[in-house]
Order: sequence, then structure tokens, then C-alpha cells
Amino acid sequence: MSHHLFLLSPSDTPLYNLTHHSSKPIANVSSPLSSNLPNWSTSAFAGTLTALSGASSSAHQTSSGTVRMGGGQDRHVIQMIANASLDVIEDLMKTQSTMLLKSVDKFNEWTVSAFITPGNMKFVLLHEGKNDDGIKAFFTDVWELYVKTMLNPFHTAHTPIRSTVFDARVRASAKKHL
Amino acid sequence: MSKQYKGIGEDLWKGRPEKVNAELFALTYGALVVQLIQDYEDYSEVNKQIDKMGYNIGTRLIEDFLAKSGIGRCADFREVGEVVSKVGFKSFLNITPTVTHGAPPPPSSPRPGSTGPSQASVGSSFTLTLDENPLAEFVELPEEVLEGGLWFSNVYCGVIRGALEMVQMQVEANFISDVLRGDETTEIRVKLIKYLEEEVPVGDD
Repeated sequence: MSHHLFLLSPSDTPLYNLTHHSSKPIANVSSPLSSNLPNWSTSAFAGTLTALSGASSSAHQTSSGTVRMGGGQDRHVIQMIANASLDVIEDLMKTQSTMLLKSVDKFNEWTVSAFITPGNMKFVLLHEGKNDDGIKAFFTDVWELYVKTMLNPFHTAHTPIRSTVFDARVRASAKKHL
Repeated sequence: MSKQYKGIGEDLWKGRPEKVNAELFALTYGALVVQLIQDYEDYSEVNKQIDKMGYNIGTRLIEDFLAKSGIGRCADFREVGEVVSKVGFKSFLNITPTVTHGAPPPPSSPRPGSTGPSQASVGSSFTLTLDENPLAEFVELPEEVLEGGLWFSNVYCGVIRGALEMVQMQVEANFISDVLRGDETTEIRVKLIKYLEEEVPVGDD
């Protein structure tokens, strides 16, 4: 089971992303997924199930140069899907004042959950299956780590986060909660 | 002796009613360093400037410190080290760095007419090991800063130098290692260069 985390600034600039492969088992959905996809995205796939299960939907408008572990063909799908979930998130942001937005969007087997910080940063997590507590704990951890990064005088706000310490800690937190 | 200094330092810290928020302090200093880097663009120059700032702080700080603590003249440089760490750092920053005294310098033939035991400790040094550094609370140095050789907390060295100069000791204070740079410990080495003689003010006969 893999998870994809994306941190976006209020202007939707990708600041950080992470792909985490959890060792926890999930009920695997192996139904043919290609039939569910709209026509415009099938061309991006090799048409095999493995390619599809590796596809990640996440909030990414532009391809960033940061950490990427998904397959190359996913990028087309990601960029397409990104806009959709971002729109949903922004709509919810206006109405809901809670920080954690559970399961805002669904794409085949992937669910998108979001966390909006008081500073309007969007943390978007793509995951399979249900893991509410784990995701909540994970988002809270990432929020704390993000705040600490912001307090570093050498970090400029809304620029990509390149700190290896931050990266290591987020990965450790992902391992713990997801 | 040192137990007494610890007590004095503790009391001084507790006695001060006005304290500043540690985060605010760290953020202010951090912003200052980053701005200096942008202005000077040369890390050794930034180090020098931070040291100069510390020097200015130290020359003013010593009066406040001596007035509040009421500590008299130190017998030798060893005692200076103890007072600086246990009373000085404690009362201003609420941290007590560990003092390690350097080996005493080899005895050279005493000059005729040299004043008592104090001259013998010229050349001696002590090392302050800081377990925690309130200035560097959230700081992580990026690559180019690490390579440039910035000592982030260099202000401490300036403060020590300035303060001790006002009590007639010329010292050299430098960072030896810093956890921000990836070293194991944060250490400042303070070395006594010479005692400054009382100068007769210009104009007196």
C-alpha cells in the first residue's frame, strides 16, 4: 500500500512531496480499472493493471523537481487528476473550518484526504483504503514538522522544502502512522 | 567554590522579573544573521560582524553583571572560566555550559617586578561546551552556508571578549565546533592573551 503526500503553498506551488510504501496490508482491489477511466487518460497508460495500480492521484498542478518515486507514465494522470481534487478542496475550505478534510475525492481505488493549516498550506495525502486515525496522526506530525521548518531563519516561506532532516522525519512519521 | 557560583547564577536568573520569550529571541537573532548574510555575502565577514556586535554587547553587559552579582575580582583565569559559565551564562541565558580548563602554560622565567600570581596564567585557556544553544533553537544551516564557514552563534565569542576586556583581560574567544555544522558538540575556546594595564587617561600628568 503506498501513500503520496504533497505539501502545497496557498498559491498551489508544490513545496514537498513524498511517496511512502507501507508494509501494512490492505484489501487489494484487482478489478479491471481501465474501464473506469475516462478516455483521455487511458492513452497515458500502458494499459496494464500494474501501471494503473501504480498511478497516483494527488494534488499536483505542475511537475516539480522534488522527490518522485512513481512511474513516469503516472505524471500525465496526476496532472489531470490534480486539478479536480484541488477544486474540491478549495470548495470545502470555504465552507468547513476544520483543518482535517477526510476523503475529499476519490479516484478508482485512491482516496484523497487533505489537511489545511491555519496559514492556508494544503497537505494532500493520497491513500488506498481507510486509515482515519493514522492519517490524522500523520497530518498532525507533518504539521508540527512543517512549523519547525518555517521557524528556521534560513528557510524562505513558500519555497520548496529541501531539508534532509525534514524529509527523514516525515518518512519516519509515515512509517509510524501509515 | 563552584557550588557557590552555581547558587549565585541560579538566584540571578530567578531574580530577574523581565524575561523575553525564547522563540522571539531565537527568531530575532536568526533574522539578524540571515540579513547579515544577504548584506555582506561573505561568511568570514559575517562572522567578524557578528563578533563585533557581540563585543559591543559584552562591553555594556559586564557592568550590569557585576552590579547584580556582586562578584569580586577573580583570583586566576581558571576562576574566570567558572564565573563566566556558572554565573554569566546562567543569569543571562539560563544555560550552564561545561567548563574544561586547558593545561596551564609552561612556566617562563618571571619578569622582574611582575605582579603576583595573575601573570602566570597568561596563555591559559578554558573551553565552554554548550549542551543547548537558545540562539540556534530552530536553525538548520543550508549547504552553501555550511561550506562558507559561518559560525552561527559567534555573538557569544564577541560578548565574552568584550566583557572580559572591560575587566582588564584581553582574550581570544573562538568557536571550535558547532552542532549546527554537524559536529558532535558546540564548543567555545577562550584564551587569555594578556592582562591589560590600567591606562592613565590622556591629559593627566
